[in-house]
Amino acid sequence: MRLAATIRSVVHRFESLREVLAKSNAPKSGDNLAGIAARSAVERVAARAVLSNVTLETLRQNPVVPYEIDELTRLFEHSLDEHAFKAIAHLTVGQFREWLLEDQTDGLKIRSISAGLTPEMAAAVAKLMSNMDLMVVASKCQVVVRANTTLGLPGRLSSRVQPNHPTDDIEGILLSTREGLAYGCGDAVIGVNPATDTAESTAEILTAIDGVLKRNAVPTQHCVLSHVTVQMRALQLGCPMDLMFQSLSGTELGNKAFGISVALLDEAWALMKERGSARGPNCMYFETGQGSALSSAAHHGVDQVTLEARCYGFARRYQPFLVNTVVGFIGPEYLEDGPQITRAGLEDHFMGKLLGLPMGCDACFTYHARMDQDELESLKVLLSAAGCSYLMSLPVGDDIMLNYQSTSYHDIPSIRRLLAKRPTPEFDAWIVERDIWDYERDRPGRAFGNAAAILP
Amino acid sequence: MSRTRQLIDRLRDELGASAPMPPAPPLPRVPEPPARVFPRRHEGSPYAREAARHTTALLGIGHVGTRYATDVVLQFQAELAVAHEAVATELPADWATQNGLIGLRSRVRDHREYLLRPDLGRRLEPESLARWTQAGQHGVDVQPILADGLSAVACMQSGLTLLDSFTQACRARGLTVGVPVAARYARVWLEDEIGAAVSAKVAAILLGERPGLGTGDGLSAYLVYDPRIGKTDGDRNMMSNIHPRGTRPEIAGVRLAVLARAMLDQQRSGVELDLSGLRTELGDVASRAHRAPQVRVRLVEVAG
Repeated sequence: MRLAATIRSVVHRFESLREVLAKSNAPKSGDNLAGIAARSAVERVAARAVLSNVTLETLRQNPVVPYEIDELTRLFEHSLDEHAFKAIAHLTVGQFREWLLEDQTDGLKIRSISAGLTPEMAAAVAKLMSNMDLMVVASKCQVVVRANTTLGLPGRLSSRVQPNHPTDDIEGILLSTREGLAYGCGDAVIGVNPATDTAESTAEILTAIDGVLKRNAVPTQHCVLSHVTVQMRALQLGCPMDLMFQSLSGTELGNKAFGISVALLDEAWALMKERGSARGPNCMYFETGQGSALSSAAHHGVDQVTLEARCYGFARRYQPFLVNTVVGFIGPEYLEDGPQITRAGLEDHFMGKLLGLPMGCDACFTYHARMDQDELESLKVLLSAAGCSYLMSLPVGDDIMLNYQSTSYHDIPSIRRLLAKRPTPEFDAWIVERDIWDYERDRPGRAFGNAAAILP
Repeated sequence: MSRTRQLIDRLRDELGASAPMPPAPPLPRVPEPPARVFPRRHEGSPYAREAARHTTALLGIGHVGTRYATDVVLQFQAELAVAHEAVATELPADWATQNGLIGLRSRVRDHREYLLRPDLGRRLEPESLARWTQAGQHGVDVQPILADGLSAVACMQSGLTLLDSFTQACRARGLTVGVPVAARYARVWLEDEIGAAVSAKVAAILLGERPGLGTGDGLSAYLVYDPRIGKTDGDRNMMSNIHPRGTRPEIAGVRLAVLARAMLDQQRSGVELDLSGLRTELGDVASRAHRAPQVRVRLVEVAG
């Protein structure tokens, strides 16, 4: 395979598809850190030109991490839908981009070929797209899932209430949860990142949240985001658990760093299908984020966009209810500033939806990255306009335990009103019944923001 | 006028271009002063006062339409500015020696490089490594490492208290503790090389975590059994939010010693470490009975 392109009579040559994929990426500090980024803007375009001419079949034949050394590569190869793959195998990445954009290609058509895509294909086409391309195609893709509520229907924008507390103080967690509900947030999940990673603590938090949701008849799901092995032990203690959580990486080595494998998640999923408390059928919740593989030296010289897509390839095995890219959490060494975080959020949402996942995004920044509050608010609107399934929500967007800035309880109703979006149908009925939102006048209801009206 | 021009004009007329614009709707009457006045300073609701007893999360703050009151916006912006300032602060080069610790440095040369190159922050620069291999006590059970991490402010404020309580709690459990060091421009994995250089059985790095809103004084601790280059996050056990409003350093030090003891007993760390037998001991240490009053300080007051 000859990998070269000429720009103003300078020939740019590339050694491998992996190099072409890496150099096609929009600028990311993480690719610089890995030493694999394009050396100039011109070389980047040359790489994209080469990539645009590669067929999807060639991408399948050249996985970025070798089949022999990575169980995820083997998983993608063995689980690929051959029938769906045949329909698009002959397209070049450039032609695939156009196929996705053209009007005859609707969301259903995209879903029909989705299982025939390897993560590398989703990543490749993302690299040829502008931010608005990513939004236009992602907005066509609908991924509808159900646990207790139905997520991802057209015209809907859901949110996770994230009532974290630095010492897992149950009262503190519940007070924050009630406030979130009073702002119409929490229809995706009430999800707590615990400070203490033990089965007892996980069970205690879940039981407490379950009580509040039941007393107020709130139609949603709950989850405590401890390690999957801890949640499995908590389930065996006998607590309610609507969704089971785990962070994923895009390589076998990266997952080893997280203390997980395909076999372990298979076991966790089986246990959850048997013991989980939500109606289902979807019962898993995964988080990802560009740069996580490199942060544990498990990237095999592959760029962070392609590795992120491989997380989604892993996630779809478990038909999850939620997948969330925690886009700005990892820090400036992977995504340096506002433009890089914005780009990554839109890429991840696009790739996840293309691969058939219910994608949400934790649009966020840490206090050591160069992004400001106004840029973050813009990203939330862009994601929502692109059809993002859900965002996070916290008091003033401030996570007092993980120390970063995300979406706020006030942002969710603001965006919904701006873009004429609603929460899940089940939760929507609940906020109308509780007079949290008044759709007749399209404004907050009398109980809006009144957390005291939600029973403790 | 050309034929084409005539056709275009006729089409425009047909589409209503020549029709006058409909009159604009009349403006509503200007309200009599005063129009609705919002309190300049947000007064906490009963819910906010109840919440303040349990959490620093900003609850019960009300809303204007679906957005924040002006006072909330200003306090938030001030907190953001404080966090950004905490990130920009650096640990002085002579801080370690002034506090009786051995000063080591990673391969990072300046603050921006520290932010963008974690790989350099995970390795000791050669001079530090040589000096440490000479000066360190070899073969100890636990090698404690104090470090700046992402908040030198936290390291300087409660780092010494945490180091002290951890060291004492380790000794009380019969463990030998190495000569304490303070590392600059350090990432978590730097503990692997520092621990390995003196063949410590457990390495424990106590370092500033990334600042939160209005704060910058939180420490995290990461412990690893058999430290050596190549260990991953799954091999470590960690504890975060060590600061006066989270888990106090005095309490955290004891709990970390329990963790270290468990690692030595089981000869492993990370996800494979079984803590189920330590429920009572860890439970006491991590007791929720202790709930520090959580006060969020107002940062902005306007004169007049």
